[in-house]
Amino acid sequence: MKKTGFLYDERYLLHDTGPGHPESPERLKAIYQGILDADLLSKLTIIQASRADLKWIETVHAKNYIERFEAACRSGDSMLDYPDNQMCAETFETALLAVGGVLDAAGRVMTGKLDNVFCAVRPPGHHAEYDHAMGFCYFNNVAIAARYLQIEWGIQRVGIVDFDVHHGNGTQHIFEEDPDVFYYSIHQHPTFAFPGTGRAFETGNGKGTGSTRNYPVLPGDGDKEYLGLIQRDLIPVIEAFSPEVIIVSAGFDAHADDDMSDIKLSTQGYTRIMERVVALAEVYSNGRVISVLEGGYCLKRLPELAANHVKVLLCV
Amino acid sequence: MFISKVMTKNVVTIDKDADISQAQEKMSKHLFRHLPVVDQNNRLIGIVTDRDIRSLLPPSHFAQENSPEEWKSSSKFRIKDIMTKNPVTISPLDTIQDALILLHKKYFGALPVVVEEQKLIGIISVRDLLREFINVLGLEEPGTLLCIIVENKIGQMKKIVDAISEENISFGSILVSRYWEKGKRAVFPYLLTQNIGPLKIKLKRVGFTLLDPMDW
Repeated sequence: MKKTGFLYDERYLLHDTGPGHPESPERLKAIYQGILDADLLSKLTIIQASRADLKWIETVHAKNYIERFEAACRSGDSMLDYPDNQMCAETFETALLAVGGVLDAAGRVMTGKLDNVFCAVRPPGHHAEYDHAMGFCYFNNVAIAARYLQIEWGIQRVGIVDFDVHHGNGTQHIFEEDPDVFYYSIHQHPTFAFPGTGRAFETGNGKGTGSTRNYPVLPGDGDKEYLGLIQRDLIPVIEAFSPEVIIVSAGFDAHADDDMSDIKLSTQGYTRIMERVVALAEVYSNGRVISVLEGGYCLKRLPELAANHVKVLLCV
Repeated sequence: MFISKVMTKNVVTIDKDADISQAQEKMSKHLFRHLPVVDQNNRLIGIVTDRDIRSLLPPSHFAQENSPEEWKSSSKFRIKDIMTKNPVTISPLDTIQDALILLHKKYFGALPVVVEEQKLIGIISVRDLLREFINVLGLEEPGTLLCIIVENKIGQMKKIVDAISEENISFGSILVSRYWEKGKRAVFPYLLTQNIGPLKIKLKRVGFTLLDPMDW
């Protein structure tokens, strides 16, 4: 059994997106309940959130965006940049706690205190861009973690695998010209889904050409297509890039029962995907996997999906 | 809508007495395929395209082996010898739709834009139109595209717009197009949100058919 961490904090529930919003505190409660009911909590190292130092956020986001976000939150604005990004008075603090928790978790994996970790955070991050919020995201938790690994831990090659059903435009754009961070995303085709980016011909720019890979899948696709792609493409990509750490943007919204998309991934399909990622990390990255929650909105399925995800990390 | 708003100004042109290599250089430097030919008063007298040049020159992989003579002889040609005289043009007060139909009908890639006495003031190409299309469709804004099949009768759009407004969603763009079933149209709203689930349920409840994306 692996030493797996579980980042979870009740303060993540304080980011209130208003009635009927899919990115709700209930998602995190469902995830926690699922892990509890599967009798996994005792096997995990629970990590509490901590406030991120602004200097880490500044490695990815513009200083004036951070200030603008904080000011808007303090003034009681109900949204930031897009109506999808509903805010409350606690949103800025919660976003800082999400980043801080992820960095703490990443640090523990680097020291070897943990083999891997699942970070059940809110708000999610992969749509957040350098200078604006988007798609329920405010700070790009995964991007900041990647920069932290590079700067604090001297990691030369970071692999990011994003299987949230929406393209992680923020993460891609942040690392588009960086050859040392590989961004690999499988998502619903941009013509048919938010945010409308992530086409197959987007493969990076300048020095970063070749270290972005996008796999749009069509409405109605599911296990067969995802597992086929992982077999034919992710494995060779990881083999060639040989990341020292793998960060996973773990979104569960490609599930057949999740309303956010037309993709039909099954519960078993999710398990198979994560098994492949963990197996690759075992070979190339010293087993180091930092998994960070992105989307996933079907409250009925989240408990089982989260429990299975953690079981794969634990290797039980 | 008007060509004047969409055309490229500051056109790269060439003189009728210039030689072929000068045209080649300009085209490869700017990645153009069309060079309007103007006189000293900037009046349009012809157009030369990369196809005109390529049909003149021998294939480059033969050039070294075979024909220094052919190369030399082709360099004797001037733009005036190979250009198309009196090219088809368009006016700045014509519209994007005029350009679309004209370019499509004539199999051209670009149209010089002229005013009185054939004075050249711009050029509009297929690339400019692609850019406008991308802008109009809002392809570069984050959003979700839907396809709703509606009966061709009054009041349908209002129901759709009402449903969308009730969910507090903004429009990026909306396209209404013909549908192969008689008496029906396809409406494609591009909505600036990720949260499309509740709207789809509402539209279905009100009686609309949402077309499966694989059937668009």
